[in-house]
Amino acid sequence: MTASTDDERRLIEAAQADPARFVELYDRYFDRVYAFVSRRASDRALAEDVTAEVFHHALANLGRYEWRGLPLSAWLFRIASNALADRWRHDARERNEVPDDVADPHEAETLERRVMLFQLVDRLPEAQRQVIQMRFVEERSIREIAAALGRSEGAVKQLQLRAVENLRKDMRRRD
Amino acid sequence: MTEGALVDRFDRIVDVVLQRRDATAALRDAELGPLAAVAADLRYTPSEAFKAGLRSGLARRAALSSAMAGGGGREGLTTVTPLVAAGGAGVAEFMTLVFGAEHAPLKPGYREVRVGDSSMLIDEGHLQTLVPLRPAEFHVSVDDADAAFERALKAGGTSLGPPTNRPYGERAGFVRDPFGNHWFIGTPLPGGLLPPGRRTLMPFFHSPGARDFMAFLQRAFGAIEERVHEGGGHVVYALMRIGTAQIEVGEADEPSMPGAFYMSVADADVVYAEAIDAGAASLLPPTDRPEGERLAAVKDPMGNHWLIARGLR
Repeated sequence: MTASTDDERRLIEAAQADPARFVELYDRYFDRVYAFVSRRASDRALAEDVTAEVFHHALANLGRYEWRGLPLSAWLFRIASNALADRWRHDARERNEVPDDVADPHEAETLERRVMLFQLVDRLPEAQRQVIQMRFVEERSIREIAAALGRSEGAVKQLQLRAVENLRKDMRRRD
Repeated sequence: MTEGALVDRFDRIVDVVLQRRDATAALRDAELGPLAAVAADLRYTPSEAFKAGLRSGLARRAALSSAMAGGGGREGLTTVTPLVAAGGAGVAEFMTLVFGAEHAPLKPGYREVRVGDSSMLIDEGHLQTLVPLRPAEFHVSVDDADAAFERALKAGGTSLGPPTNRPYGERAGFVRDPFGNHWFIGTPLPGGLLPPGRRTLMPFFHSPGARDFMAFLQRAFGAIEERVHEGGGHVVYALMRIGTAQIEVGEADEPSMPGAFYMSVADADVVYAEAIDAGAASLLPPTDRPEGERLAAVKDPMGNHWLIARGLR
């Protein structure tokens, strides 16, 4: 057993004994679950709904989770897949469509890259992080961001470029 | 290229990415291509507000789970135990005659009646001054519904409906005992909806708008849906877990008689606060009782009384 799986097992057992410790598992797995779900979800609202469902389901059922040496993420991904399949079935019934197969040979690689990216965004300098959130998450225009932050449009574009350059640099360093 | 031209050109690439337009050309750009690839992945960045909001919601739910933990403490006595007024020794005797129950004082003020793997609490007086206890409805699983139904009539019960095979897969009859409680006495039929492993005695809640009631139970007590069968846009049958207890919920034109339930929890104050927040009315704020319990009581939107206690183990 590696230090990491040992650590994971301890966290799971702590949360099983005291549900208040569940947030530690959330902190550890949020990025991974969100990356997994958002790659399959058609939009952000669905990705958020399903991610919330995964963690609420996990909290409710953690007591029954049995450690079998697999990472907890495998269990969380299975919950996510079932939740997404339920929604696809529901949508397909309404639209009389069958969803496309989402199998992707580069899945693991894409997932790892995005998890790393999410973590690096959290570590950006405050102003750059704000611009990334407003531009890529809230999908606001440069003008709107400039007004919200009290900066010029040129300064916001500059922060945007610097942020992405920093992210690119940090990702290469970690590769 | 000047710095100003570069930031403008990159911003145009970001526009292409955000508008889900074809970004092939941008990705091939020798200078900005690698950044365009990062920008494409950034579209999937989670919202900080969502991440923090979900964390806070889970922390609250987890705190409720912790507060609900420790219910019961031994076999039969679960997080939610039906509670009835004594009716003298009447209710316990009725249950003994009909279901072969056994009863004994649990601690001063409470008598425990055990039926199969389940328990019911009978208040012998001390709660009556705090929260009025009323007759309620119960679902009891037996080996032979017809024989138990006959015993119920002999013990003074009144038939509300003789045993028949119900469409959801149970042979069941309905009896009112001399104290006003209603007993739904059933034997599961093979291939029916009732899941195996249910307890002998189950609190059940029939209600118009069963979904709303289930949502209340989830918010107030962290209830979890274990099985839900829907039909005609309604919940035909739902099995829910509250802590270590199971309850049954189903849609009905008329609500079932509201009952009283004793909740044995780790933190009565937290559970009480969540129940009030979920829409329950306060009957008794958390109070230290001379019997050694920390006790609170609320009334849910269906009119059921929930006594939330820490201390009875």
